[in-house]
Amino acid sequence: MPETSYAVLGVFETPDALMKAIPKVRASKLGTVEAYTPYAIHGIEEALDLRKSPLGGMVLVMGVLGAVTALGFQYWISAIDYPIITGGKGAGSWEAFIPIMFEVTVLFATFTAGLGMLFLLNKLPFFGHPVLSSKSIKGITRDRYVLALEAESEAFDSTAAAKALQAAGAIEVEALPAPDRSPFLTSDNILRALGGIFAACVVAGLAMYFATKWFPLLAPMKYMQDQPRLNAQKASTFFKDGHGMQQPVAGTVARGHLPTATGTQEEAASLVNPLPRTREVFATGRKVYTNRCEVCHGAVGNGVGSLTAAYGAKPANLQAQQFRDYPDGKIYWAIVNGKNSMPSHAPYLSEPERWAVVHYVRALQRAQNAKDEDLKVATR
Amino acid sequence: MKLDAATSAGDIPEGLVEPSLYVGKVTPGSLDDQVLAFPETRPPRQWYFALAITLTAALIGVVSIGYTFYLGIGAWGNSSPVFWAFDIINFVFWVGIGHAGTLISAILFLFRKRWRNAIARFAEAMTIFAVICAVIFPLIHVGRPWLAYWLFPYPNQRALWTNFRSPLLWDVFAVNTYFSVSLMFWYLGLIPDIASMRDRTTSKLRKVIYTVLAMGWRGAATHWQHYEKAYLLLAGLATGLVLSVHSVVSFDFATSVVPGWHMTIFPPYFVAGAIFAGFAMVVMVLVVVRETMQLKNLITMRHLDVMNKVILAMSCIMGYSYMMEGFTAWYSMNEFLHHGFMNIITGTYGWAGWVTISCNILIPQILWFRKARTSYFWMILVAIGVTIGMWFERFVIIVISLHQDFLPSAWRIYKPTMVDFGVLLGTFGIFFTLVLLFARVLPVIATTEVKAILPDAQPSHHGDDHHA
Amino acid sequence: MSQTKHTSNLLWGAVALGALGVLGTYAAAGPERFWANWILWFVLLFTLGLGSLFIVALEHLVSAKWSVPVRRIPERLATLLIPAVPIGLIALAAVPVLYPGARPEAAHHPLLAGKAFWLSLPFFSVRTILSLALCLLGLWVLVGGSLKQDATKDPAFNFRARKFAPAFMAIFALVITLIAFDWLSGLTPEWYSDIFGVYVFAGAFLSGLAATALCVLHLQDEGRLEGVKGDHLYNLGGFLFAFTVFWSYIGFAQYMLMWYANLPDEVIWYKVRLAGSWRLITLALAGLHFVLPFFALVTRDSKKDPRRLRRVAFLMLGAHVLDIYWLIFPVLGAGPRFSWPELSFALFFLGGILLWIRGAMQKGEDMPVGDPFLREGLEFRL
Repeated sequence: MPETSYAVLGVFETPDALMKAIPKVRASKLGTVEAYTPYAIHGIEEALDLRKSPLGGMVLVMGVLGAVTALGFQYWISAIDYPIITGGKGAGSWEAFIPIMFEVTVLFATFTAGLGMLFLLNKLPFFGHPVLSSKSIKGITRDRYVLALEAESEAFDSTAAAKALQAAGAIEVEALPAPDRSPFLTSDNILRALGGIFAACVVAGLAMYFATKWFPLLAPMKYMQDQPRLNAQKASTFFKDGHGMQQPVAGTVARGHLPTATGTQEEAASLVNPLPRTREVFATGRKVYTNRCEVCHGAVGNGVGSLTAAYGAKPANLQAQQFRDYPDGKIYWAIVNGKNSMPSHAPYLSEPERWAVVHYVRALQRAQNAKDEDLKVATR
Repeated sequence: MKLDAATSAGDIPEGLVEPSLYVGKVTPGSLDDQVLAFPETRPPRQWYFALAITLTAALIGVVSIGYTFYLGIGAWGNSSPVFWAFDIINFVFWVGIGHAGTLISAILFLFRKRWRNAIARFAEAMTIFAVICAVIFPLIHVGRPWLAYWLFPYPNQRALWTNFRSPLLWDVFAVNTYFSVSLMFWYLGLIPDIASMRDRTTSKLRKVIYTVLAMGWRGAATHWQHYEKAYLLLAGLATGLVLSVHSVVSFDFATSVVPGWHMTIFPPYFVAGAIFAGFAMVVMVLVVVRETMQLKNLITMRHLDVMNKVILAMSCIMGYSYMMEGFTAWYSMNEFLHHGFMNIITGTYGWAGWVTISCNILIPQILWFRKARTSYFWMILVAIGVTIGMWFERFVIIVISLHQDFLPSAWRIYKPTMVDFGVLLGTFGIFFTLVLLFARVLPVIATTEVKAILPDAQPSHHGDDHHA
Repeated sequence: MSQTKHTSNLLWGAVALGALGVLGTYAAAGPERFWANWILWFVLLFTLGLGSLFIVALEHLVSAKWSVPVRRIPERLATLLIPAVPIGLIALAAVPVLYPGARPEAAHHPLLAGKAFWLSLPFFSVRTILSLALCLLGLWVLVGGSLKQDATKDPAFNFRARKFAPAFMAIFALVITLIAFDWLSGLTPEWYSDIFGVYVFAGAFLSGLAATALCVLHLQDEGRLEGVKGDHLYNLGGFLFAFTVFWSYIGFAQYMLMWYANLPDEVIWYKVRLAGSWRLITLALAGLHFVLPFFALVTRDSKKDPRRLRRVAFLMLGAHVLDIYWLIFPVLGAGPRFSWPELSFALFFLGGILLWIRGAMQKGEDMPVGDPFLREGLEFRL
């Protein structure tokens, strides 16, 4: 009688009975032989003449790929795309890349082993296989060992198959009807699957947007942006006057501008010029004099500068005998403290600059009152 | 050389025969009935009571973590120079506990030690739960936990990449890989068992859930072939992880120059410590499981005896490591190392050093005696001691080394806060809640694996009973 | 058989030729070169013998059954510890020559003064003699007992061995650490690494496994060791694979940690080994001790293939010698020395080792026939 059977199952009580039955049933050549057992039976692969599992090779290849990917990725990031030296280690230090390379190798290999075995080799998940809805399935996952003769073509004879199984020692036989069509790959299911993937992507996208853009702005996460600290150019509740920026405390001295204790001009007479008379010092002195002093005291120090007429006051004529007799310290005192109408030039001249100007003034004085011997000195 | 009549199996003397791995008559059917009954029935009142306690602890943890998010890391005791304290201690502690599960499932599988079959499922589940507890800490101990995703190297608008030269990033990859691999390994092992549950259940809802989770597993020999290969490969890969993950965690310390941290022995020392702490936790949980779930015929005293031997062996390896630390502290002629080591046994936290040594080295020595290895009192005492000792060991390594390193002007005392303790308690709550849930929802013993080692489980021409 | 006599003569010839070269080395190439070679072969003898003894003790410790049929081989290999004793005692003469800590200047060296008493020859010798004595103790209990059991068939030995095995492990840990620190890292006493004992252990265990595998395969070729099958070879291959990975992990951990912290007093040890021609040796070590064996044994089938196992085991023994060479010879300064002194020592010692092993294998049974678990071991299936 022509059948539309998928397979005939024969149930055995012990693994020995199953193993003994396999060669007999295979010899009958009535169909493909498959076994269903609650756990893996040793030796069944040889008995059923199964091809070796390619999983080992797949895992090795993917493992090596994982290693190469991890090394390459780390190297590219650390040495090519954005090379930074951290901790004194060169950008491309391979030693540091080994731990992650190892982990990623294991990760790739594991997912290949697990998912490759399930999806690719075993073609699971698959919920439509006829065995799953058979009577024998309860025994298969409990304590029965089942041999199946599966139809290879239209000419499958389920009665003969059942007889062969019984002859080989099966305690029960069951015929499985063939399903009308593949219950899994229906267009409905495919659409459902695609829809599910799409929905998952949308949800994931929204979730990521929320997590990265919205969530940090909620309390208490946003408290970090709102810190009770002093911000530049903003009001502050910490100080009484409400200003964030405050004046320096009275007596604050800028670096390099320690006040020089000069007392009175007479007391300053004992100060000694600490700078040597070198070209550099001379150049500094000339520059500062030109910028600060020339407008009043004149280019040659004679008190006639470009501002003299407009200013009204009479700047000192540094070529006068009085000033040529001044010790260095008294000139320095005048720069630092000012004299009469001359303001103090201390705030914007550093110590060395002030003393350089003193040297320059001395040079100007000498230049206007040169003697014959000075000309001999100048040729050096 | 030919075998003669004298070398026959019957000649093995009494004292050398190993006890059977199961007591009484166990058949595949009776095994299913015994183990799979738990997910199918309502738990007893004690289970709810226990769950209430663990959930309370977990809640305390959640509140503590929430408070930490609200206030910042200032809620903890971390302060200069002890920038790492309970957070990293707990992280290393929990990652370590996870390693026992992987050793039992993977390494013992490779060694064909059949005693692992009954306890592998539970141990692996404990690994996953322990790693979940561990992963909490790197996430919450950063100043802005909501930016924790910056730890992953994804292309971004800041044109920034992660620093692959930092052991902290190696940790991210290692722990994530460990979690994924353990989950995969555990889940694959569960598939045939869930298939059993699918075919036994009468509830329609459960049938759907189990059908989906079992992936349509039908026990086909062609499938078993690939499955067994995958399992073997995963066992080999997971073995590599047992060594590497805790070594990478140890690199967090050993790559620095802090005295007491920069010791080359740290990688294997940490791995041994992890196995040590993990086995102690497994022993404690299994004692409770075998008593409350009447599984004494499957989780036998032999299982506990062997696990206690492993604990003893690890204790000796820890002893070796401590001795090497002490020896090197002297041999190096380095005053900083020497001071660091003296701080462990004298000094402000010297008491912690002695807790560590007593709990990890001294107390477990009782396990040399068979009576102790097979007595609930002694093995639980040792296990609790080891858990405490291993927590304190991380305390000793982290707090003692940090609170007094190179610059005396930076030496400070560390004091934990209640929030620190709250988080620690919380992780125990989370861990045991997950354990309790697992015990009632999924098969605690890998029925498929145990079925495969029962007598007459394999065809007789393939050798004798594999029950040793 | 004439084949055996022929091989025997060849080996004796090698020993004699080597001996000439050995003596010549002292005269012509100087004491430092002589002692460096002597210590190399002492350490090899010692690690091979102790590693093999470790295999035996490990089997008793974990009550392994599959390895019982092949246990006699590491037991015989462990007897190499016997000639290691005189070789080691002679090697003590090298201490003042090659070990800076034992020289009188050490008392004034800032880093060595504090431990000069530890590094000095008397204490050094005490530790070495103690270690060798403990090894002989282990040999006597485990190997002697097993050989006696062949005749008496008394299971009391198994009880005694199981009780002794943990004690031996403690002894082993102490001895291997002492030898590693004294003989190997002691060459540069300012340097220290606390994983060094574990590193030397990994190499020793691996060398014992490789030698065992080679001998098993050789005996199988001669038709002996009937009953030992692919399943046993697979386990041996599996151990070789696993511990190759373990050795590499330890070696890399030590290197990477020292590289990362970049402390001058630690890094100097590696800088010497990465400078000039030593760099090639270091790369060769990584390649021959890790990369090649790893990929050669990674597949399941390769682990039980006798031809593959034989080649890899050979490679591993060679790599182990290269490892010890890499540990010792940089102390001579200049580049890696390899010339007639090294070859002569190799001829002398390798010839001697092979003669000893062959002699050991000719006596008595090839399997521990008195062990009650022998049958179970022979029936082992994966």
